[in-house]
Amino acid sequence: MKEAPALEPDPIIEAYKKDVDETLLLEALQLSHEHRLSKLMNLQAEAAELRRVAGANLAPPK
Amino acid sequence: MTNLDAILRALTTSKVEFLIVGGVAAAIHGSVRGTSDVDFVYSRSTANLARLVSALSAAHPYLRGAPAGLPFRWDVETIRRGLNFTLVTDVGDIDLLGEIVGGGTYEELKDQCIRVQVFGLECLCLDLEPLIRVKRAAGRPKDLEAIAELEKLLELKRRRS
Repeated sequence: MKEAPALEPDPIIEAYKKDVDETLLLEALQLSHEHRLSKLMNLQAEAAELRRVAGANLAPPK
Repeated sequence: MTNLDAILRALTTSKVEFLIVGGVAAAIHGSVRGTSDVDFVYSRSTANLARLVSALSAAHPYLRGAPAGLPFRWDVETIRRGLNFTLVTDVGDIDLLGEIVGGGTYEELKDQCIRVQVFGLECLCLDLEPLIRVKRAAGRPKDLEAIAELEKLLELKRRRS
């Protein structure tokens, strides 16, 4: 495999990096790959439930 | 919600040549941002197209966002005529990519992957640095926060090793 050149720092991305919560990433890195995917699926399920509840509450009364 | 377990199981048991990219690959590398679909780069070989069709047909793939009733046949000919497909299926939204900007095809990317064990399956996942490269190459403003997080993960991993 051809060695790719090192990633050059991008000033815009560097600016965004200041807002990244390192604590959460360090926590995630303690987990196995499977555990990380399970957490992602849980997050998706919670988001779907929120959308469902919000949709039900916003529906016009019959 | 995307049932990653079911999708990965269907693809691996049918021996589809694919690799995980996008938000799910980011999650595998430690990203804590959510994603609603799963992106795969698949091999365009004829044999693999047949395996792909067979693997996903039970999940009734349909073009995401297309009006209901639009004729869409999930078969080898359809995939051969297209390249990248955004699909809605019974097990969640799937993006099937024949090629990605800044990365290329399955054959070009497979050596830049890590092997991951998930749900009792072994899958290829694009490694962190090439994942950052393809996200950068895509040039989408919405990816800036995600790229910043991935680059932070790369720094943390390098600091730990």
